[in-house]
Amino acid sequence: MNLIQIIFWFLSSFAVISAIMVLVSKSPVHSVLWLIAVFFAISGHYILLNAQFLAIVNLIVYAGAIMVLFLFVIMMMNLNKDTDPQKNIWIKLAGAVSGGCLLMVLVSLVKQATEINGKEAMLGKGDIGLIGTLGKVLFTDFVVPFEISSVLFLSAMVGAVVIGKKDSKLENN
Amino acid sequence: MHSLLNINSSTAINYLPIAIQLIFVIGFIGTMLALSAITGPKRKTKDKLETFASGIEHHGDARSPMAVKYFLIAILFVLFDVEVIFFYPYAVNFRTFAADPTMAWKTFMAVLMFVGFFVIGFVYVIKKGALKWED
Amino acid sequence: MPISNYIIFCLTLFTIGIIGVLVRRNAIIVFMCIELMLNAVNLLLVAFSKMHNGVAYLSDKSSIVGAEAQVFVFFIMVVAAAEVSVGLAIIVMMYRNTHSVDINFLNRLKN
Repeated sequence: MNLIQIIFWFLSSFAVISAIMVLVSKSPVHSVLWLIAVFFAISGHYILLNAQFLAIVNLIVYAGAIMVLFLFVIMMMNLNKDTDPQKNIWIKLAGAVSGGCLLMVLVSLVKQATEINGKEAMLGKGDIGLIGTLGKVLFTDFVVPFEISSVLFLSAMVGAVVIGKKDSKLENN
Repeated sequence: MHSLLNINSSTAINYLPIAIQLIFVIGFIGTMLALSAITGPKRKTKDKLETFASGIEHHGDARSPMAVKYFLIAILFVLFDVEVIFFYPYAVNFRTFAADPTMAWKTFMAVLMFVGFFVIGFVYVIKKGALKWED
Repeated sequence: MPISNYIIFCLTLFTIGIIGVLVRRNAIIVFMCIELMLNAVNLLLVAFSKMHNGVAYLSDKSSIVGAEAQVFVFFIMVVAAAEVSVGLAIIVMMYRNTHSVDINFLNRLKN
């Protein structure tokens, strides 16, 4: 077992344990913190795959911006105490069992698939994950999706302002 | 390990110092917290554990619900934060694009259009008064 | 690293996300589980792109086969940011109106 394999198994087990803790945590704030741990582990996986740009974007966008927004909402609603209503234990069990069955079916499919036999994901080298290469591809082949995403952001901005602003006006009256 | 000295940072091994630093930081903080928890004196009286408010009787929770306008600013921050991410690939490739006559104006116009949409959104936000701090 | 390791790892994360959506009733946790599922898919896309690039890398070290997948992942992350901002705004408004983030309140959309 060399260093890369040790890092892979460490990051994978850390991510899975943190993801389970997201579900198990009673307090939503703890769930957010565990989800940030998952994102850090996934960023570690990106670095292992030498997708350096995506690793940094994952940290900036997900762990830095989106999760802060989640924390902000939880603080705003004062949800830090447990407000999840106590649900029937059988429904929880049914959810876990059906999810486990899905995982079992999918894993057995992966085990049976012959197309992926002997295929390896290249670790630690290769230039496609670097920001220069991705920038060239983005600005030659993906110019139209690039512009469409800016339109999407415009609509998200307008939507957020319309939804958020209307309510505060009603409150003032 | 010779690649550590290499300036070209195109392989994952170049992140090894960062990983070592991360492990050191987490280990240091963990050790310090554990040490202070183990060796420090503990007096758990009721007055000691109470929230300190300069001698005034404290009231309520620190996490009082906030107004929606702060949330709106947080949302707009996220959107403009993601806009900046799009500029990194362009900035890194700027010289190679500028040297290529077929790409230079095409990519510049694409980025200009992208920024234009965001400026439209920004003007809309300003006009709506969503960034107004005082009511 | 065999690609099947990555597939099984990502499937595990994805399934945990599905279980979260099924089991939890707090709308914010459900939303976070959706983000978890998106991230699992992103990691799998990057692993597949490195798998295809690894084949081309043997003959040409500067080959950019598979770079499109990483651009896709970049777009997924960016679109997720827009989606989260609008979705959280909707959850906040739902909380303002019903004083709860229980998703079971949402099945009474009529009044």
